[in-house]
Amino acid sequence: MMVNLLKPGSWFASPHPLIIKNRETFSRFDQSRPLAEYSFVVCDTELTGFDQKKDEIISIGAVMIRNLQIDLGTTFHRYIRPINIEHTKATLVHRITPQQLAAAPPLEEVLPAFIEFAKNSLLVGHCVTLDMGFLNRAARKILGGTLSNPGIDTIRMAQGYRRVLSGHFHGEEDGSRSYSLEDLTKEYHLPTFKSHDAFEDAMQTAYLFLFLLKKFRKGGLLTLKDIYRAGRV
Amino acid sequence: MTTFRENDVHAVAPEVAISFLKGIMPFNTLNANTLKSLARHCRIDFFPKGTRILTADTTELTHLFLIQQGGVKAFLEDDNGEVTLKDFRGEGAYIGALAIIRGTPANLNIETVEDTFCFLLPREIFLDLIEKQASFAHYYLKSFSEKIVTTAYNELRHHKVARRSNEDLYLFSIKVGDLVKDLRKVVASATIQEAAAHMSEHRVGCLLVHDTADAEKIVGIITDRDLRRKVVAAGLDYQQPVQTIMSGPVQTVLSQSLCFDVLLKMMATGVHHLAVERAGRIIGVITSHDIMLLQGHSPYYLLKEIRAQQQIPGLYPLAQKIPEVIRGLISEGAKAGNITQMIAILNDHILERMLTLLEQEMGMPPLPYCWLLLGSEGRREQTFKTDQDNAIIYADPADEAQKHKAETYFKAFADKAIDHLVNCGYPLCPGEVMAINPRWCQPLSVWKHYFERWIAEPDPQELRYATIFFDFRPGFGESALAEDLRTHLNRQIAGRDLFLFHLARQCMETRIPLSFFKNFIVEKDGEHKNRLDIKRQGLSPFVYFARVLALKYGVKETNTLARLKALMDGEWIQRELWSAASEAYELQMQQRLVHQLRQIEAGVLPDNYIDPADLSDLERRMLKDAFTVIERLYGVLGQMYPVT
Repeated sequence: MMVNLLKPGSWFASPHPLIIKNRETFSRFDQSRPLAEYSFVVCDTELTGFDQKKDEIISIGAVMIRNLQIDLGTTFHRYIRPINIEHTKATLVHRITPQQLAAAPPLEEVLPAFIEFAKNSLLVGHCVTLDMGFLNRAARKILGGTLSNPGIDTIRMAQGYRRVLSGHFHGEEDGSRSYSLEDLTKEYHLPTFKSHDAFEDAMQTAYLFLFLLKKFRKGGLLTLKDIYRAGRV
Repeated sequence: MTTFRENDVHAVAPEVAISFLKGIMPFNTLNANTLKSLARHCRIDFFPKGTRILTADTTELTHLFLIQQGGVKAFLEDDNGEVTLKDFRGEGAYIGALAIIRGTPANLNIETVEDTFCFLLPREIFLDLIEKQASFAHYYLKSFSEKIVTTAYNELRHHKVARRSNEDLYLFSIKVGDLVKDLRKVVASATIQEAAAHMSEHRVGCLLVHDTADAEKIVGIITDRDLRRKVVAAGLDYQQPVQTIMSGPVQTVLSQSLCFDVLLKMMATGVHHLAVERAGRIIGVITSHDIMLLQGHSPYYLLKEIRAQQQIPGLYPLAQKIPEVIRGLISEGAKAGNITQMIAILNDHILERMLTLLEQEMGMPPLPYCWLLLGSEGRREQTFKTDQDNAIIYADPADEAQKHKAETYFKAFADKAIDHLVNCGYPLCPGEVMAINPRWCQPLSVWKHYFERWIAEPDPQELRYATIFFDFRPGFGESALAEDLRTHLNRQIAGRDLFLFHLARQCMETRIPLSFFKNFIVEKDGEHKNRLDIKRQGLSPFVYFARVLALKYGVKETNTLARLKALMDGEWIQRELWSAASEAYELQMQQRLVHQLRQIEAGVLPDNYIDPADLSDLERRMLKDAFTVIERLYGVLGQMYPVT
C-alpha cells in the first residue's frame, strides 16, 4: 500500500499511511485521564519567516515528556534543506550556516520522522498554532493530510496561570505583560539556556510547560481537560 | 555528510545535562564520553515549593536526584509528630545517594522549600558509577562519614531507644592492626588443593602466597572467590601451583590505619582483602567482612564469627556483642517473639562452640551427655544477661568405675564451662542451679527419679524453685537423653492432678498488678515507689499458665508462645484466648526488652522494674489491657482446679 509520492494524483485521494495511523490514534482521544498518563512532545520549529505561503521550516527540535518528566534520552533535532535555499536569510538569527542547510535532508524525509517521533503524544509549543500551521501545511503537501495530535499552547497556559494567581478569572488581559518565552522564563525563575536553536527553545519551552503543568496540578487540576479549561479565556 | 546528520540526531539532547553535570562534584571528574552517555539517561523533573519528594522509611529510590535549581529541606519526624530539621540542600546537591547505596528506603523526609528542578539519574547507573569510578565512591562515602548516623536516625524514630553517640565510632577508633588475624600463608609452589585444604582447616577465606625462596616475601593472595571462579568453574587442575590463580602483587594498608579509612579503600577499589603491613612486614590480612563485624549489627555476621572461633576466649567479646545485635533488631521493629528467638540462637551457638572446643581441650567425655538449659533459657525467653540456669544429664554408667570416671570428668567439664560462661557475661545463678552443682550433674536415672518425686509428692515449698526444671531443653550434646527424660516426665504427670493443682495454685498466687495504675494516678506528684516488676507480676502468670496446661496435656514445647499455640491447636484453649494471651505476653516482653536495653546503654545492670513515669499513655493503656488477660487466665485455671 505504498503511496507513490511522485505521482501527484494519488496524494489527495488517499493520505499517507502515517497520516491514517495518526488519525486512528487520536480518533477516540480521552481528555479525562490523569496528566501523568499522557506523553507530550514539546517542539519548536525554526522558519525562514512568518509567511505561511512563502516561508519554510528549516529545523525542528523536540523533547519528550513522559510521566511528567523531561526524558533526555528521547529527543529530536533536525535541520531541513529548504526548497528555496538561496533566499534563506535566517542564518544569522538561527546560527545555522548555509552549508549546514545545504547538507541537511529535505522536509519530505524529516517530517515523517517527526510524526513517528510524536506518535501518540500531544504537541506542546510556545504559540503552538504557528508551528502546527507550518507543519500541517507541509504535511498536507507531502503526506496528503494533517496531524491529529491535539496541541497545547504554553502561552495560553501562562495566561491561565496568571489569572489564577491574580484572582481575575474574567478580567481583561493587562496589555503590558509579556508572554515571550524569555520573559516568562525570567518571571518564573526557570533555568535558562542560550537561545535560538530549535532544540534549545524546545527545551526551554519544556521547562516552562513542566513548571506550569505541575503548578496547576498542585492547585488541583488533575486531568488534561482541567488544563484546557484553565487555558481557555 | 551523513555523519553530520547522525550527530545531529543523537548527540544534541544531553548538552543541557552535560553542562549541568560538568559543573557539579563529582561528575566533573568524568570524561566527555561518560558524561554524554550519562546525560542521555537523565530525566528532568519539577517539584513546586512544598512538595514532599521522599518519605523516610517509605520511599524506594529509583533514581538519584541532583538539584538543578531550587532547594529542599531534609527532616525527620518521630512517633509523636515532632520534627527535627536535619539539613537544607540547594543547587548542585544530591538527594537519595545513601539510600541507593545501602539499598534501603529513604532515610530522611525531603520537601522542597522553593520551586525546584531536579535531574534524575537512574539508580542502576548511579550504582554503576559508584562501583567503577573511584572518585564517586570516595565522594559519596566520605560525606557519609560525617553523617553515618543512620542508626541515630533510627533512634529518633524509635525514641524509646536511647540515643548513643559513639555507635559507629568503632570504625573511627580501632586500627586495622588491632583486628588483623594470624598470618596464614602458603608457598607459591604449593598446589591449589593444598592451599584449599589449608584454608578449610583454618576456616579462613583467603591465604597469602609467599615467594618460594623467601617466606617473608609476599607475592600474592588467593581467596574463596578465586577457588570458585578460577578453579572450580573453569575446571582447572587442582594440582596446578597456587601461583597460577593468585592475585598479585597484594595491596597493602598500614597497621595503624583506621578501620574506616580501610573500609573506604576497599569500597573505592573493590578489593576486599588487603594485606596489613607493620614495620615493613606483612602481619596478616584484613577483609571487609572483619570490619563489618566490628559494627556488630548483623546477627548473621556474628553467627558466622562465633562458628569460626578456634579459641574459647575468642568467644567472650562475641557474646558481649549480642546486646548490640539485638538492639539493631529492636530498632528495626522486630517483635519480641523473634528477638528472644534470636537471643536464644546466638546464645546457643556460643554454648555449642564453647563446649565443642572444651571437649577438644579435655578429650572426649566417657559417656554421652546432654547440656540442659533450664528456666527462661529452656523456654528460649532470655532477654539480656539472664542468669545461668543449666544442668548436665549423662547416660547411665555401666559400672562403678565408669560412674567414677563420669563424675570426675563432668565435674571438671562443668567447672570450666561455667567459668567461660561467666567470662562471656552470663552471671552465676544465685540459687546454684548450674551444672557445677553436683546435684544437677547426674545420670539419666537420677534425673528421672528427681522428676518422679516432684510429681508424686509435691511439696509447694520445693516446687516453687523446681518449676524451672520443667522447662528444660537440650542445649548441646546428646539430645536423645533430654527427649527420653521429657517422655518419661509426661508419662509420670498424666493424671497426677495434685501436682498440677499445686502448680496452678502457685500461678494464681501472683496478684494482678492493676493497683500499679491506680497508685500511679494517686501519687502523681510523689515519688513513684511502686514500680512494676514486669517479669514477676506481668509475664510470669502467662509462663505459669502455659506451663501448667502444657504439662497437663503432654505438650512438649517449652517456649511460652509455642506452648500457647500448641494448646490452641489441640483445642485445649479457645482461639480467642490464645490470641489475646499471645499478644499480651509479647507486648510485655517488648516493654521489658526495651527497658533493659536502655539500662544497658545507660551503663546500669538490667532489671525488670519498670517505672510508670517512663511509660506513655498509650503504653500504660496497653499494659493495662495485658493485665486484664491475666484475669481470664486465672479464670480458666480456677475452674480447672477449684479450691474446695
